[in-house]
Amino acid sequence: MMFDKIFGSSLWPKLFTGYGLLFLTFLYMPLGLIFVYSFNGNAINMSDWTGFTFDWYLTIFGGANSQSTFDAAFTESPDRIFEVVRNSAVVAFCASSISTVIGTATAIAMQRFNFFGKRLYGALLVLPMVVPDIVLGIALLIFFVGAGFELGLLTIIIGHVTFLSSYVFVVVSARLAGMDTSLEQASADLGAGPIATFWRVTLPQIMPGVVGGFLLAFIISLDDVVITYFIAGVGSQTLPLFILAMMRRGLRPQINALAVLLLAFTFVVAAVGLFLRSRKS
Amino acid sequence: MLMLLLAPFTLVLGLFFVIPLGIIMVYSFLEPGLYGGVEWNWYPYNYGRIIGWPLNEYEEFDPIYLKIFLNSVQIALMTVIGTLVLCYPAAFWVARMTGTRKNLILFLVTLPFFANMLVRIYAWLLLLRPTGFFNTMLQSTGVIVEPLDLLFTNFSVIVGMVYILTPFMFLPIYVNVEKLDWSLVRASQDLGANPLQTFRRVILPLTAPGIIAGSLIVFIPALGNFIVPSFLGGSKVQMTGNLIERSFLQSRDWPFGAALALLIMASVVALILFQLSRQRKSDMRGGA
Repeated sequence: MMFDKIFGSSLWPKLFTGYGLLFLTFLYMPLGLIFVYSFNGNAINMSDWTGFTFDWYLTIFGGANSQSTFDAAFTESPDRIFEVVRNSAVVAFCASSISTVIGTATAIAMQRFNFFGKRLYGALLVLPMVVPDIVLGIALLIFFVGAGFELGLLTIIIGHVTFLSSYVFVVVSARLAGMDTSLEQASADLGAGPIATFWRVTLPQIMPGVVGGFLLAFIISLDDVVITYFIAGVGSQTLPLFILAMMRRGLRPQINALAVLLLAFTFVVAAVGLFLRSRKS
Repeated sequence: MLMLLLAPFTLVLGLFFVIPLGIIMVYSFLEPGLYGGVEWNWYPYNYGRIIGWPLNEYEEFDPIYLKIFLNSVQIALMTVIGTLVLCYPAAFWVARMTGTRKNLILFLVTLPFFANMLVRIYAWLLLLRPTGFFNTMLQSTGVIVEPLDLLFTNFSVIVGMVYILTPFMFLPIYVNVEKLDWSLVRASQDLGANPLQTFRRVILPLTAPGIIAGSLIVFIPALGNFIVPSFLGGSKVQMTGNLIERSFLQSRDWPFGAALALLIMASVVALILFQLSRQRKSDMRGGA
């Protein structure tokens, strides 16, 4: 390896490896701690291990037998959890589907056509990703209240679409930039119309980008706290807002279990997304 | 065809992005209503209040909001420095690798980016609080007797921010280090430069674009963040984001919150424009 030759000493690679392991520890140790604590039977002090239990996972779904009255007062009913999970799923699915269509259409248009002010327009397209979340959140809140929207799932979906479309646009644009256009020309030469060419040739080629964009949008929507915090109504709590409310009431072992389940789910979706994006077609 | 493809996003951006941001701008110059909402009167005192200007004869000059803003800038800067120090060597570590190992490590470094922000903050609450992991460890090994006050300090807020934003710093630096031209580094060595000189004169300038890009995309979300300080800073550490949140959801002084949000927005825009102009200058120099 060129790098090692340059630094000559054989100590450097060891130093870097050691540092790298520390870096990974920094990234994963805090999350690992939640995982370990989620199985700790000690209800009062999580840092003190008193034995293995599944109770915290069972209590959040309403199935624990060892639930004390204190915990009963703290834990929301399982119906509540199912409701917020359903809200989150509906928002993430609708918002990322709409954003995928909008972002892909925009990416294709920006790649195919030239028009006056294209560079400025391109900058506007990625601006929602740059604006601080809190600014977008309150801007949407003022707008929705002023325009007479009732805050709820619909306003959350609209708010998410606004910035998720930018993410999909960026991911699909990257895919389009690396695409071979000769196949499209061949399709046109062989007499296929623009719509047939799109469905049969273009779309299959950019599909990994489109699916990757969809999954990225899905996770960002599912995880969003700040923007949702401002534009959610009374009856439209999402899972992150639910966890936020739990954290404000105090740290209890049930949060560990819920956090582990959420992490596991997002990591699986993210892994699929990253795999699709890295795959060369 | 072009119109048809661009219409949806243009409509969404116009209605739900450009107009709302415009409304914030207008609101920041309006008088707060007595019971929330706004009165349509010209009212520049929202900005006056930020710099501490007394509103009437009963108030004194008190730049508390300005101080909070400056503290937010300081926290965001420390976050940039923290993520940079952590990620710079790590980027070289990954760039050195090859094949499947490299892909696996890249995957591991990227994955925490997708973990929920609240969960990641929650993890640091578990680590830092008086009965948390660190204090329990230190106490059980006899290093300390009384738990340390690790939470609710600028330090704990910075640690939380660094943890959340590390992937944002890592990726741009990594992309830059990955395409670093090592023959230039070798040339510098051949010409008799010592490792420190090589680093300062060759490696650092060549990786500067990655450092600058990473710093920008860490600084921007750090400056406006209010979730991290509200959990890891408690009532002791306030950031401008907390003030904005409170003006909207508690004190219902929307114009003041809008003015603060514009202050954040203006800082971000100023930074981006500054960076773009620098880039253009260096591009021109490079072309000449």
